[in-house]
Formats: sequence, structure tokens, C-alpha cells
Amino acid sequence: MKKIVIKKKISFFLVFLLTLVTCLSCLSYLKIDNKDQKVMAAEEKIKPKKKEYSIVLDSTYAPFEFQNAKGKYVGIDVELIKAIAKEEGFKFTYKYPGFQAAVDSVSSGQADGIIAGMSITEERKQSFDFSDPYFDSGIEVAISKDDAATVKDYEDLKGKTIGVKNGTTSQEWLNQNSEKYGFAIKTFDDGDAMYNALNVKAVDGIMDDAPVLDYAIVQGKKFVIVGDKQPAGQYGFAVKKGKNPELVAAFNQGLAKLKANGKYDEIVAKYVGETKIKPKKDSYSIVLDSTYAPFEFQNDKGKYVGIDVELIKAIAKEEGFTFTYKFPGFQAAVDSVSAGQADGIIAGMSITDERKQSFDFSNPYFDSGIEIAVNKATKDIKDFPDLKGKTVGVKNGTTSQEWLNKNKGKYGYTIKTFDDGDAMYNALNVKAVDAIMDDAPVLDYAIVQGKDFVIVGDKQPAGQYGFAVKKGKNPELVAAFNEGLTKLKENGKYDEIVSKYVGGSSSEKSDDVDETTFAGLIKNNWKPLLVGLGKTLSLTLVSFILASIIGIILGLCAVTPIKPLRAIATVYVDVIRGVPLMVLVFFIFYGIPHLLNHPLNDYVAGVIALTLNASAYITEIFRGGINAVDKGQIEASRSLGLPYLKTMQKIVLPQAIKIMSPSLINQFVISLKDTTIISVIGVIELLQASKIIVARNLQSLRVYFIVGVMYLIVITLLTKLSKMLERRIQ
Amino acid sequence: MGKEENINTPETEIKDDKTTNMDGRKDIIKVNNLVKSFGKNEVLKGISTTFKEGEVVCIIGPSGSGKSTFLRALNHLEEPTSGEIEIDGFDLSKKDVDINVVREHIGMVFQHFNLFKNLSVIDNITLAPVELKKASKEEAVANGMKLLETVGLAEKKDARPSSLSGGQKQRVAIARALAMNPDIMLFDEPTSALDPEMVGDVLEVMKRLAKEGMTMIIVTHEMGFAKQVADRVLFIDGGIILEEGTPEDVFERPQNARLQDFLNKVLNV
Repeated sequence: MKKIVIKKKISFFLVFLLTLVTCLSCLSYLKIDNKDQKVMAAEEKIKPKKKEYSIVLDSTYAPFEFQNAKGKYVGIDVELIKAIAKEEGFKFTYKYPGFQAAVDSVSSGQADGIIAGMSITEERKQSFDFSDPYFDSGIEVAISKDDAATVKDYEDLKGKTIGVKNGTTSQEWLNQNSEKYGFAIKTFDDGDAMYNALNVKAVDGIMDDAPVLDYAIVQGKKFVIVGDKQPAGQYGFAVKKGKNPELVAAFNQGLAKLKANGKYDEIVAKYVGETKIKPKKDSYSIVLDSTYAPFEFQNDKGKYVGIDVELIKAIAKEEGFTFTYKFPGFQAAVDSVSAGQADGIIAGMSITDERKQSFDFSNPYFDSGIEIAVNKATKDIKDFPDLKGKTVGVKNGTTSQEWLNKNKGKYGYTIKTFDDGDAMYNALNVKAVDAIMDDAPVLDYAIVQGKDFVIVGDKQPAGQYGFAVKKGKNPELVAAFNEGLTKLKENGKYDEIVSKYVGGSSSEKSDDVDETTFAGLIKNNWKPLLVGLGKTLSLTLVSFILASIIGIILGLCAVTPIKPLRAIATVYVDVIRGVPLMVLVFFIFYGIPHLLNHPLNDYVAGVIALTLNASAYITEIFRGGINAVDKGQIEASRSLGLPYLKTMQKIVLPQAIKIMSPSLINQFVISLKDTTIISVIGVIELLQASKIIVARNLQSLRVYFIVGVMYLIVITLLTKLSKMLERRIQ
Repeated sequence: MGKEENINTPETEIKDDKTTNMDGRKDIIKVNNLVKSFGKNEVLKGISTTFKEGEVVCIIGPSGSGKSTFLRALNHLEEPTSGEIEIDGFDLSKKDVDINVVREHIGMVFQHFNLFKNLSVIDNITLAPVELKKASKEEAVANGMKLLETVGLAEKKDARPSSLSGGQKQRVAIARALAMNPDIMLFDEPTSALDPEMVGDVLEVMKRLAKEGMTMIIVTHEMGFAKQVADRVLFIDGGIILEEGTPEDVFERPQNARLQDFLNKVLNV
């Protein structure tokens, strides 16, 4: 079964329900037999030969094994093997290396047994000894609900056309039975096309894996199942051929006991109880790239538009999910999802095997390609071979990067990696690189928008874009996306959205304001720039005030006669000063949520990082300022009977603050400049706001000049203000 | 820096009776076997003595002898390594004795004045009484002005310490110490950092204080002043009291060879 082999993440709910019903019907009988079975089992108790057996499982194959919201592995396989271990008195250790790795570790003898939703096949029996099957899968035929009155069984399919996916067990079964029942077969290359065909009644019925079909129906497809489910393989526990026979025996015996005492049903029911896609959260956070036209970008009114944006909004509406959106940039978006900061990502993200290690992807929503562009003025590059000795820019972590790395030896170019698209496009603009490689729709869009680039060489296939969630997390989100996507494709909304952006007519292009002049730029962008500036100032002020409070407290600790307090201050300052601010930002934004198991707001993360960073320096400033007040005054104060803290408050600090005010003003300016680093986690402060503008109009020189002047003005004003305050204090 | 102001109070006759009988007075400070070490360096090697109420004691000795350390130990600016100090019946080595409360009763005057640079003259004087709730702001200011008058600096009440001369600073420092209405005054080389022409004004204030019956312990190099004012003179060298007695005994009939040597050096320059 293709679906099983490629381990697509699909819920098998209805199959479980059927099994459940069957088992329940036997339950009373089994319960009577319960005692006898136990007695029997006790007589042939199997003894473990090892103290501990190592069992490997797939890493994510809901509902058989997957991490729950608390990050703990659960699932049918997990609970089954645990229950059996308990039943049989065997001890196990568990690992979740992923399906292929699990198979390999058992066949290499690294692990003793595998339970991973693994189908029992003749081929596998060559290398493994399987237990009795513990789960039945199957295939079945579905027809449109409208035909339910006339088509009731396989016999009624005479003269009908049945759709099927190429290379599947279903196809085999249909080929074998087409003569018997007299139907025609139409083969499809992918599931979507097949399901759409039935939707629009291009076929009369389709055959597919039972769990997939059942799931589709539960999710609202207007299909009904006809005829009996056909057996299509069973899942078994396995050991390496000839090894650990006692383990298989114990599994079989334990499974029988669990089936007898109802525990098996309990476990299965626990995971297949839920059958409808329901939002599990009130609101999901979706992250997108910040600048990736035509998928997501700000239009000249400062509003985010693009294929991804409209698609996810349409799907959310369709499925009744509530989303919040953020546009932190591609790498930051990927990081936030893998850190659990955000629930899902849609960012023109190609579906790759590598990414599948960390993400669960939806069905693809866009077929992409990648291509190479050079500056129009560049005459000597006409095709890939001309790239010899040239520098090619590429965004980090993209399919283009993979392609470039793979073909580096062949064409002899050097690769320069960028963190975001703007930087890369600007680099080509100013010829800091000779060529760039990017996704075809993006490059095409840039050229349509007036970039002086030309495409050289052929477009390379680059797979498909998918919506993704962290592996094992938020499966309902992927399911909802798939369902919503299917609906949008059916009702034509999908084509509408896509053609709006890549269909040729660039209706979004602004023609009322000329953005190639400073006046035009300012007229059109003053609002987002001021909003960004506001964010910058608020980041600076909030973090500086908090840092000052921490700095005073730790500064006092640093000069106190009490040794442990001094040690705390010293360690704090050394640790914070020893970590680059950007690392601190990443650690807090991506790392802390792992500890808290709760996402952290990007602004809050930024404030925390800036506060920690500045507080270490302010602590040092305070320590120095306090030490600069001569000790004699402290002694004089103490000799009058004034306590230590009173002395600090009335005598030392007022003088210390005067002494250190130049350093504090300096630190304030540094803190303000440091806020630009917060842009890496997608906080739209002044720099990020300007990057977004540049991404749209590509006027990097003018926009960054304007932004530079804005920083200069603000910092100069603040410095003057502080100097005035300082003079008044003195 | 302006020239020194004259003290406005009429010249009073200086206490000349150096044979005041202290026997009837009660002990106000008892020091028993006081030892103070800085690391391995033992600066005070077991000092025992008693100070009586109203007694004026001058401590003399070569520099590095431990006399300042001894003075600073009396109000625990230096924590003694061992030994007992009892002040007004408070045993300072006891944990339950609040050193801040004891210090309220001991005024201290430093060689380098140590005025609070961020406060005006009058605020320097009123800070402690007000903060320690000994007086309301108004009472403290009124009392402070009285003290400034007695040291001859009433018109400097709003001046910043940085605008005063050394002698003026030291007189403000004395007024500041007196503002807490102490029972004991400690003077740590109060005139050593002053220009010679300013020494007189400060000593004048101290003499008057002595005459008014204040218990005073003074570390000083002013031998003439000691002779004139002290009821008793202690000679400390090498961390112990080598000789003590009336100024006549100490200055005119020194017994200890090192005292003789010291006096020779100081008096015959």
C-alpha cells in the first residue's frame, strides 16, 4: 500500500471504529472467557532472556505514535507495546527514530523490536519475524452521495467508471475485479485530482485506502462507501529474522490478553474517538515570510497581500478556524514553528524530504520552479555554464540553495548565502553578486514589477509548496488546510487567488505615487516608518527602564559587603556580557518556549533580550559610579548612625548617578541601536519596517538613507535631551 | 577660597586645670584586650583601657602605630578581631546590640572631613537627625543653625562643601557630628589635613567643646593642644599602649624609651 509505505500522515479513524464495533460485539463473550485465558497464559509464561529490550517506533505516525501537546509520545503503538510489556513482565526501552531508521536499527541488530504501523508483507518477511497482526487496514470504494440510492454494492458498479491512484493496492484490486463487476478504470496521478474528479462526477466512484476515504467523509466530503472493505494488509510487531523469538511470542500472548480483557479496544478507541476536524485552540498563529512577493508582501498601502495570505485567509474562513498572522521573515518563521512559537507556516515553503524530518506538510498548494537571474547589464552570462567563477546569491535554507550546492562542482560558481530576499535582491542590484537563484514566481514577479533582471538558463523543477506544522503537532491544522484547499480548488477560488498575482496583469502595482524619489517614498511610506519608529522607541524605553531597575539592584549587590550578593552580580554580568545579543534574542524567542511549552510574544521576547543585555552593562556602570564615590563619606554617614541602605540612598547614589550619567546616556543610545537586532525575530521596528518597504519597491538606497537619517535625528535629539537633564541634575 | 572667619563668640578662658579629678566620674567606654588584624598584619595587639564621662583623652604615637585604628574600632568602623568594647553599657560584641543605635551617641570627626558633597552645609548637619527621626526638619534646622553659629559659619549654611576651605569644612564636620547630640566625640587627626593657619580655628572649637564637658577621644599630632586640653594622654606604638598619664607625666617625665624618642622627634623639629 503506497500510503503506508510512504508514511503519509493520515488518520485511520473509521477503520478503528469498525474494528471497535466488531470487538465490542464480541466483548461479552470475551469477558466470560477472561479468567480461563489468564489461567492459560499463566501456564505458558514466557521468560524474558534480556533484562531490557529496546523497541523502536516511528517518530510521527498519528494515531499510532506521535507527540501529544505536552511533547510526550502517545498513540496506539505506544500504549499497546507498553500494555503488553506490563502484561508479560518484559522491560522495554523506547526510541522514536522515524520509520526507516527504526526498520534499519532492527535489521542491523541495534534494536530488538519494531512497532511502527508496519505492514506485514512478504518482502519484509524475508528479513523480519512478524507477530500476529494487531491492526487491520483496508481499501474501499466511495461514490457520490447523490448516487447512494442506486449504487449499493459492487454489483451496481456495472458500466460505471472508477477512479484510482496509480500504483496502489486499490489499483491492483480494481484490475482483478473489473471484469467480474463490469466497471471501467480511470487512473489518476494524485489523490487531489481523483477526489476532484468524483466531486465533479468525472468518475462515478473512486477506490482508495479506507482510512483516507473515511477521513475524507468525516471531514465533510459528500461521498458514501459502497460494498465491503477489502483487506489490504495488516500491521505487525517485528523482530529481526531469527532473533528474539521470545519477544514475538510475548507480544502475541500479550496482545491476545489485551484483546480478551478489553484493554486493546480501550486503547484503540482512545485515539479514534475524535472524528471531525475541530480547532483545538481558540486561535492558531500562522507565520509567513516577511517579503516574498507574490506569496506575501506589503502592498503600497502597507497591507500584507499575496497568494499565501489570501489562501490561508480563505481556508481559515472555509474551515471556521481562527488565525493570527505574523510576517517575521522566512527563517524566523521556520524557526518559530519548529520552536513551537507558532502553529503553522505558509511561506512559499517547498516540500522536501529534509524538511519532512521536522515538519508535517499539507498537500501541496503550488507547483514551483527555481531559476537564475542576472542583472540586465550583465552580458556575459547566458546560461548555467557561464556562471563559472561567478558568485551566485541565494536565500539560506531554500530549494535554490540545495540546487546550487548540488551543481556547484558542475558549473564552478561560488555561493553567497543571504538571510532574506531583500538583501539578496539588493546585492544583485548593486552587483555585489553576479547572479541570484530564487523561486521562479518570485523572480518573475520582481521582473514584472520593474526589476532590471533577466532570467538565464532553464527553470529547474523545485517541487511544490506546502503549508506545514511542526512534526507531530497540530495535525488538525494540516487536515483543515487540506480540506480547505480542496474546497477552494473546487469552487474556483484557488485559481482566482493565484491568477490575481501571477496571472500576468500586475494590478497591484502602484502608479499613483512615484516611489523612486525621496518625496514620493516619504509621502507613501511615512506611516509604516513612523509606526516602526514608535516600536523602536517603545522597545528602547521599556527595556532601558527595566534594565535600569535591574542594573541598580545588581549594581548595589556588586558593591555590597555581602559576598554571595556580590557573586550573583558578578556571574550575571559575566554571563550576559559573554553572550552576543543576537544569540540571546534567538535563545529567548526560540529556546524559552521549549522550556515553558508556551509560545512567547516576539515583542516580549525582544524586550526581555534587550533588558538582559542592557542590564548587565548598566550594572557595571552603577558599580563603577558607586565605587567612584569616596569611601570617607560612607564612613561619615555610618558614624552618624545612618544604616547602610540609607547611606546608599541619601549620600552615595545621588553622587553616583551624577558621575555615571554620561555613561548611562551612552548606554541608552547603544540600547536604541541594539533594537535593530530584534528585527531578526520579526518585530516590525524601524529597520524591519524599512526592509518590508524595500522588498516592495526595491529602493534600498533611498529607503535605508531615510531610515538612517531617522535614527540619526532621534538619537541626536535624545542625546541633547539627556545632556540637558544631566546639566539640570548637576 | 576666602580667608578664615573669626569665631564670633567671645574668647573664653581655656581649661587650665589639668588635674581635674576623674575618680568620681562613671566609666563611659571600657576596652578590654582589643585586637585588630588586617589579614596577617596585627595592628592592635591587645589594648585595654577605660574612658570616663567628661574625660578628654589625647592619643599620640608615631604613624602606623595603630592609634587611628583603635579610634575607628571604638565605633566599629573597624570590626575588632577580638576583645571587648563596652560603650554606655552596650557590649558591642553582642549580636543583639544595634551598632547604628550606639553610633548615634558617638560623634566622629575625620582627617579628611568627609562632608556629603551632594548636600549643602545645613543639609549635611540636618540629614542624620531628620533621617533618624531625632528631630523634625524645622527643629533640626534650628539646632543646626545654632551649631553653625558656635563654629562661626552661620552664613555658610547654604554653601556647597566644595566651596569651603579645609578649616571651614572641618568645623562643619564637627557641627554635623554634634547635631546628633552625642555623648562621646572621636577625633581622628582633625587638623592633619589643614593648612597651618586654619588649624587654630578648629582647635579653638575643640577646646570649647572640652570645656563644656564633652567626652573626647582625640588622635592628634598637636602636642601643645594635648598638653593644654587633655586630662590624660595615651602613647600607642606597635599596637599597644606603651605609656599613659597626665600631660605633665607624659610630656615632661616620659618613662618609656620609645616615648622619649618620639617626643624628641616631634617637639624638637
